[in-house]
Amino acid sequence: MHRALRFFSRLALPVLLSAALALPAAAQALPGTDLGAETLRPYHFVFLAYALAWILVFGWVVSIARRLARLEKHLED
Amino acid sequence: MSISKLRRWGLILASLGILGILVLQALVFFWVPTEATQGIIQMIFYVHVPAAIVGLYVAFGILALTSVLYLWLGDDKLDQAGVAAAEGGMVFTTVVLLTGPLWGKIAWGTYWTWDPRLTLTLLLWFIYLGYFLVRASTQNPERGKRFAAVVGIVGALDIPLIHMSVLWFRSLHPGPVVMKPGSPTLAPQMLTTFMVGMFSFILLFLGLFALRFALEIASRTAATRARAAQT
Repeated sequence: MHRALRFFSRLALPVLLSAALALPAAAQALPGTDLGAETLRPYHFVFLAYALAWILVFGWVVSIARRLARLEKHLED
Repeated sequence: MSISKLRRWGLILASLGILGILVLQALVFFWVPTEATQGIIQMIFYVHVPAAIVGLYVAFGILALTSVLYLWLGDDKLDQAGVAAAEGGMVFTTVVLLTGPLWGKIAWGTYWTWDPRLTLTLLLWFIYLGYFLVRASTQNPERGKRFAAVVGIVGALDIPLIHMSVLWFRSLHPGPVVMKPGSPTLAPQMLTTFMVGMFSFILLFLGLFALRFALEIASRTAATRARAAQT
């Protein structure tokens, strides 16, 4: 049970890492121009929106897993 | 349903939900076409709208139903289910309130405007924040549960207003493209991606709701046992 929940919580890391790696790569597509910054802004916002959504949802997963683990430990004691 | 069954079903549904979300992510980045007028920023739609459907209609719908039944029947399990649904509803509504402004900044030029739908959704978020505050701030736990159930029902009255606000009031927010009379006005690939997102979010929510419900039952059982052991 806990191993499975821990597995879910670890899924958040690759998703966030991929978003973090993609952001600078996208920013370098048109370097040093205002036009580039304007054009790429929506891409940043899309990545940010998905990153925020997954952080919140996986944060809830982690929170449930931690509370379950704490409760089971408490019951065992 | 026993705690072990809830946990088993919770894990199964949450696993399916996470798989669906991975598929959604692949569809969004590699398959679905970019919308002609809005461009890439429209991709936020595939996470914003499913989160809204799950948070507002599914989670807070369950909360309203369990609140009514709790006031009627007084069964503690209904209150426990309500707490689990409210927590999920808050998470998904927060997703809606964070992703919407990101879309708005590009589409409207501002993160926030006091548009009826945005304002009513923010109000709903605060009402359900009150659900937890009322519960935590009442000295008599039984009274706190009843007050919270009333807040759960009052908050649900805001949900039809949010849904109809784009039709009843002058609103900047886009009108419904899926949940409306007649067929959806989305391109087939966009509709497929949206449906994958919606079902994934629903499965993930139901799985996590079951796990949270199991946690609530177990923690209250442990608290009751601890009290019994003390006396």
